[in-house]
Amino acid sequence: MTTELILTTDPIDEAALIARRRASAGMGAAISFSGIVRGKEGADAISAIDYEAFRPMVEHQFKLLFAEAGQRWPVVESIRLVHRVGVVKVGEPSLWVEVVTPHRSEAFAACQWLIDEMKRIVPIWKKPLL
Amino acid sequence: MTVRVHFYSYFKELTGCPSTEETVVEGATIDQLLGQLYGRFPKLTAMRNSTLIAVGVDYQGRSYVLKTGDEVSLFPPVQGG
Repeated sequence: MTTELILTTDPIDEAALIARRRASAGMGAAISFSGIVRGKEGADAISAIDYEAFRPMVEHQFKLLFAEAGQRWPVVESIRLVHRVGVVKVGEPSLWVEVVTPHRSEAFAACQWLIDEMKRIVPIWKKPLL
Repeated sequence: MTVRVHFYSYFKELTGCPSTEETVVEGATIDQLLGQLYGRFPKLTAMRNSTLIAVGVDYQGRSYVLKTGDEVSLFPPVQGG
């Protein structure tokens, strides 16, 4: 299984990421998910979210999660994940995840699990900006 | 011995600093360290039940025995995505 993690202050270029996709002949599913900054945080309208990351721990915890995903779904051929840090405006993607597998069920399941676990243990925080 | 403690997210506002050093006795646990820090930074006590703790880049529990050179990080629940 190959994995790639990018933490970046730059906008996420989804088209460029998809253009770089690699899938071997046995792969039949590529799920990609984009998390987009909503214009509301609770009842308040916001203009952006400032993401803070404890970068060395983020990298370590994602490495552990990627390894566990590979154990839970051994058919996963690749995982790529991009997370923005710094200020991300409303409407822009803050997260992009792609999972490539032979069939869709494992791709959906692995992608869902990975995002759920990220929100549980990966040390990234958000500060809404009005 | 002295350990360095880092604060993330709004814990920096609660303590007024991104990091500090704290002197603890040999064999002290994270629980003991937290007790000392709550004395210095009383606003942290409000987050007592939801504080996440890491040593280096791994999560640890409150019974972890501190070692010289440990870098402890304290932060609120994470919010990636």
